[in-house]
Order: sequence, then C-alpha cells, then structure tokens
Amino acid sequence: MKEHIRNGVSAGLTFGVVTIFFSLIGFTSTATELMGGFIGNTSTARASSPGAIFNLVFLLTLVYLWNGSMAAKPTEEDTQQKAMQSGLVAGTVTGLLVAIYAFTVGSINAAGIDMRDYLTSMSSDAIELFLLGLSPVVGAVVQLVWITAVGAGAGWLAFKLRDKPLRKAIGRLWERIKERFSQVPLIQKINKSKYGNFIWYGVILLVLVLIPLPLSDYWNYTLGTIGIYVLLGLGLNIVVGMAGLLDLGYVAFFAIGAYTVALLTAPTPHNLLWNFWIALICGVILAALAGILLGVPVLRMRGDYLAIVTLGFGEIIRILSKSDALTGFSGGPRGVRDIAGPSILGMPFNSPRAFVWLIILGCLLVIFVTSRLQNSRVGRAWVAMREDETVAQAVGINTWQYKLMAFAIGAAFAGLGGVLFASRNMFTGPEDHNLMVSINVLSLVIVGGMGSIPGVITGSLVLKGLPELLRQLETYRMLAFGALLVAMMIIRPEGLWPSKRRRLEMHEEEEEPPTEHLANPSGGDAA
Amino acid sequence: MALLEVHNINTFYGNIHALRGVSIEVEEGEIVTLIGGNGAGKSTTLNTISGITPAREGQIIFEGQDITETRPHEIVEKGITQAPEGRRVFARLTVRENLDMGAYTRRDRDGIKESLDAVYEIFPRLKERESQPGGTLSGGEQQMLAIGRALMAQPRLLLLDEPSMGLAPILVQEIFATIERLNETGTTILLVEQNAQVALSICNRGYVLQTGEIVLSGTGGELLANKMVRDAYLGAS
Ligand SMILES: Nc1ncnc2c1ncn2[C@@H]1O[C@H](COP(=O)(O)OP(=O)(O)OP(=O)(O)O)[C@@H](O)[C@H]1O
Ligand SMILES: [Mg+2]
Repeated sequence: MKEHIRNGVSAGLTFGVVTIFFSLIGFTSTATELMGGFIGNTSTARASSPGAIFNLVFLLTLVYLWNGSMAAKPTEEDTQQKAMQSGLVAGTVTGLLVAIYAFTVGSINAAGIDMRDYLTSMSSDAIELFLLGLSPVVGAVVQLVWITAVGAGAGWLAFKLRDKPLRKAIGRLWERIKERFSQVPLIQKINKSKYGNFIWYGVILLVLVLIPLPLSDYWNYTLGTIGIYVLLGLGLNIVVGMAGLLDLGYVAFFAIGAYTVALLTAPTPHNLLWNFWIALICGVILAALAGILLGVPVLRMRGDYLAIVTLGFGEIIRILSKSDALTGFSGGPRGVRDIAGPSILGMPFNSPRAFVWLIILGCLLVIFVTSRLQNSRVGRAWVAMREDETVAQAVGINTWQYKLMAFAIGAAFAGLGGVLFASRNMFTGPEDHNLMVSINVLSLVIVGGMGSIPGVITGSLVLKGLPELLRQLETYRMLAFGALLVAMMIIRPEGLWPSKRRRLEMHEEEEEPPTEHLANPSGGDAA
Repeated sequence: MALLEVHNINTFYGNIHALRGVSIEVEEGEIVTLIGGNGAGKSTTLNTISGITPAREGQIIFEGQDITETRPHEIVEKGITQAPEGRRVFARLTVRENLDMGAYTRRDRDGIKESLDAVYEIFPRLKERESQPGGTLSGGEQQMLAIGRALMAQPRLLLLDEPSMGLAPILVQEIFATIERLNETGTTILLVEQNAQVALSICNRGYVLQTGEIVLSGTGGELLANKMVRDAYLGAS
C-alpha cells in the first residue's frame, strides 16, 4: 500500500474506534450538553433538539478535521492531491465504522430494546442524538458522507497550512505584543530604573494578594487546591524533573506533613493542641527526614526499580495510617478531625481566603528556593546526574549526597503542602493520600514541562483548575487526563511551558542547526 | 614508590567475576597501556580505579594513600579522572557546560579559566563549538570533549578508555598525538586501547589483560615484538 493511503487508513481506524468508544461511554452526549451549557442553545426537554444536534455536529466535525489532518501528514513526495487522498481515505474509513455502528445501535433502539441494560450510558435519547435525530439508515448514510467530506477537506487544509506552523505565528504575535508594551513610557521608565526588577516583583505580589479578595469561598477553596498542587508539583519537579529520580510514592511526604499537623494540633487522638506554626515546621522537617530515610536504601537503584520501590513506600504509609493496629495513634480509617488552623497574634487566620494567601506565600517561598537551587552548584550536579549518572560520578559529583538532597527538598515541599491541606480542610484521613495524588502530581509536572517552574504552575492550573471549571466533566476527568496526556506527548512532548534546555532537545530538528547560531548570533530572519 | 599501585584486585558484577587478581603499576610521568580483547575487563579495571565499581578484594594505592574504598568523587578530588568509554558526554549540555562540569570539584576560578584555555588550545574545534549541545557534536568531537572534560579537573593521572574507538584513521593519529603531548606536559596516563599497534608504540609500558587476568607485561617495544601479542592483537601478518 502507498504510504499516504496507509496513513489514511491508520488514522481512520483510530479515530473511528475512538469515536465509537466515546459514544458507547456516553461522552458524546456529555460533551454536547457541556457545550450547550456554555452557549445556552439546548433545552432539557428533548435530548435531540436542533441545538444539541448542532453542538454534536460541531464537536464531531472538529474531531474529524483532526482525523483528516493527522492522516495527511507529510510524505516523501508531498503533493496536495496525496494529502487530500489521505484525508479522504481516513474520512471514509472512520465514516464506514461510525455509520455501521450508528446503524446497528439505531436499529436496536428502534426495535425497542433498552441498551442501558448492557451499557449504562446508551439511553434511547443518546442514540437518537448520535443519529442526529434521523432514522437508522438515513442517519448512517449522512454520517458516512459528512465524515468523508470533512476528512478530505481536512487533508487539503493540512496541506495548505503545512508551511505556516501555528506555533511560529503565535510566537511572532507574542513578540509583537511584548514590543508594544515595552514602548509604553511608564514601563520603559520602570525597566530603566535601578529598582526595575523589584518594582515588577512588587506588582506581581500585589496582584497575587488582590486575587483572592473578590472571589467567593468556593473559588478561593479551588484556588487553594491549585496552589497546594503547585507546591507538590514544584517538589516533585526537583526529584523527577531536575534530579531525574522517578518517584511514584511522592504522596507519602504529603501524608507525613498532613498527619504531623493533625496529630500535633487535634483534640483526638492525642489532645496535644500544639500551635499551628510549630506543627507546620515539624511537618516540613519530618517530611524531609522521611525523604532521606527513603533515599538511603534506594541510592543505588536506577530507573524502573526506583519507581517501584517508591510506589511501595507511598502505599505503605497510607496503609499504616489506615491500619486498625494504629487507630489509637493515627486515627485509623476514620482519620483525624478538628485540626487547628493558623492564627496571627491570637486572631484566627483560617478562612479559605486567608489560606489562599498562606498558600501563595508558601508557593513564592518554594519558587524562590527552587530557582536559586536551579542555578547553583547543586542544580548543575542534578542536571549532570539526570543526564548520565556514571559520568557524573566520573567528574567528581557526589551522587549520593545530591540524590538525598533532592529527596529531602522535594519531600519538604510536599510536607508543607500536606500541612496546609490538612489544616485548611480541618481533617485528614487515609483516602486523602492515595496513589492518585502521586499520579496527579506527576501528570501535572509532565503536562506542564519537566524541570520548569512556570511549567508546573501551568500544569496545575490546567489539571486541577480546568476540571473545576468543567464541573460536569468530573466523571470523565480521568479520561480527559489520559487523552490530554496522550495528545500532549504527541503534539508537545516537552510540556506546555518547558524549560529552555528541554525545548532545545525535543525540537532539535525544527530549530536551525546550532552552527548557524554561532555564525549569526543575532539569529536574524535571513531566510 | 609508583604513582599508582594496583595490588591483586578482584571485582565482581553480582556473580560475574570480572577481575581476577589484577596488579598494575603506573609511575609518575609514564604512559601505560592496557590492551585486551572484548570483555577482558579493561573498562572494569579503570572503573575500579575510579571507584565506580569498587573492588571486593585487593588494594589500590595512589600517591601512597589507600583509595580502594574511596568514593568516586573523592578520587577525582585526589587527582584521578577518567574519560569513559564510548564518548559519554552530557548530551544536552553545551560544550562549555560540559567542560565546566569537568571542573566541578575545583573552586579556583582563575585556575579553571586557565585549564579551559589550555583545553581549547589542545582542541580548537571545541572552542568553535562552545555553545553547541554536546549531543550534536560528531563522534570525534565528542571524544575530544570527553578527554577535555577529564582534563578540566587537572588530573595527576588521566584514565583514557578507548579514545580512538570508531574514529577515522586521521583522527586516530590526531588523538594519539594529543595524548603524547599531554604526557609531555606532565600528565601521567593510563590508556586502554583496542588499537594495540599505535597504543603500544607510544607507551612506556603495557599490560595484556585476558578474561580478567594480566597475562603479560613489558615495555611497549617488548610487547610489540611478542609473538602472542602479534597473533592475538596485531592481526599478525
Ligand atoms: N554492568 C555490568 N554488569 C554485569 N557484567 C558486566 C558489567 N559491565 C561489564 N560486565 C562484564 O564484565 C566483563 C568485563 O567487561 P569490561 O567492560 O571491563 O570489558 P572490556 O575489556 O572493557 O571490553 P571492551 O573492549 O569490549 O570494552 C565482561 O564479561 C562484561 O560482560
Ligand atoms: Mg571497555
């Protein structure tokens, strides 16, 4: 088979199967509703109202456009005709699969059989909607024609847009905006002044302090959660992104921070009632110590072994906190309640808004520490270790010391996150500290861009903030997570906001060859 | 007393007995070569000296101090560095950053600058490529970088693991000429090579390693003339 035809078939099969899968789990209906909720063109009376059909067609058209453009990737002898053929083939394959599926479920539904007995999402309404409110035969034919046409169109479009990557266009726009702004007199004055940097930091700080003021408690709570995940992300970023140690049991340190503040300040089970601030410091220190404790036995381990052992460690901590034997000590499965919040000069300081301030303060502190570390001897040692551990040893880097340091610092940040989390919720229990936390944090680090501070912030805004915005999507969050991760790995393997070094490496072939940089350091637009 | 004395070392990878009582000596100012077939244990010998794969038995003495159990980074501080096998450079770091890494154990800014200039003088190619990522250098350039990086620590003893591997003949010449020049400026060198002909002709003394044991030693000339060496390592003609 010719290459461009093969591309078409494989994209077509993939997208066909994915579309059917989405329909089977009811995701198509949910997405339609969601869009309806945003633009308000659907009524609840009938599922297959014109508005809903419009939304479904719109969303699926986007998917099928993607299908065609994926199929029409550049081949050796790249022509418009071939690109269109790829798109056409992809559209036909997807169209056939979807049409057969639509016809089948449509007929079953028409025969009066309730498919919900087998698949909970396959209600009669959902099926009707998927058939665009038409009869099984007509609906299937319409699907086939529509998907094929969109595929061919996408192939053509992909060819036309090939030499104008969107990314470059956006980059240029951004440059232009920056240029405009730097011409504003006031900004110029600040930039020129000796205290320019301090003034900008001050402005950022002011904005951060002001943000929580107009927000409701609910949004402040969400913002706090995002901030806590920024803390966790920055910590894991040191361990995984900078030092290159794959730690899957990261939640353990979060748990240690949370339980420290819980056991030291709550009335049960120990009735110690310590001051919050002292408990906070204890939590951070204990987490760091635990980091070292975990670090020592795994010093000689690499890669997959390290991942598995740390995974085990995370689960052990959770299971211990849950075990009946330790109920007297750690509250057992029911957890610990009435954890103290912070107070300043005897005034309680524990509204959701106050916590956002506290969390932002924590984030700033952690960002400061991280960026200082990044450009220090320690940071360089971590980079070398991540690149090649043996060579790092050969140039005289004490790899054990720096591994322990990475574990300890990463753990301390997580401990801080745990303290703030438990204290804000006034509760902590074993289920706050399950494996999902580790996976979420790792995901946000990867999605944001390993080794990059702004990347971690972007990642946690996207992965913790978006689901809150799309409340209705909640049940599909894991699915969206997965889809987003897969899509990202294909489209932007270096993350949403990568560190400079990683971007360099991942997109080597796209940048001009480095020798040219040398010859022409200004990197002008000679071409 | 020799600069480096290796007494009867035994090194294991799990159950694999890679070195079986290896003893070698390197005098101050010498070039000593270690030749042997694939899997003979040459790299293991160097890694054992560097502390990366510590010996289970035996003793390594450097400048009169026992370094058998010393950690790799301290061995670098004591003055032994290695350019490992297979042009292992930090691929994502620039040439300059790679070289700076080589000076990781040093704190004397001025001295580091001097070493950097010296390395650039030996390998002008590296200066031209200063801000290029190490991974994008050609094979020969990466080898230069690996050697240059090892030199940045100002070693008393330089361990070179197959510096000529995979290089074009003309580059092999160049690398060996460089090694001789380094030696003349006072660096003692322990050289592991597959390219026995050239290695033996530039060295003071050599050892032949076979399945973890030293089977022969002598001056470069003696080894070049030896029948067994000629048959096994020089592609006897
Ligand atoms: N990390 C390791 N784990 C297990 N066995 C190893 C390891 N490294 C080396 N070995 C074994 O130890 C023996 C000696 O290996 P070494 O790398 O020292 O050989 P060499 O003389 O350098 O060979 P070459 O010329 O091919 O580089 C070989 O049998 C090899 O398989
Ligand atoms: Mg070897």
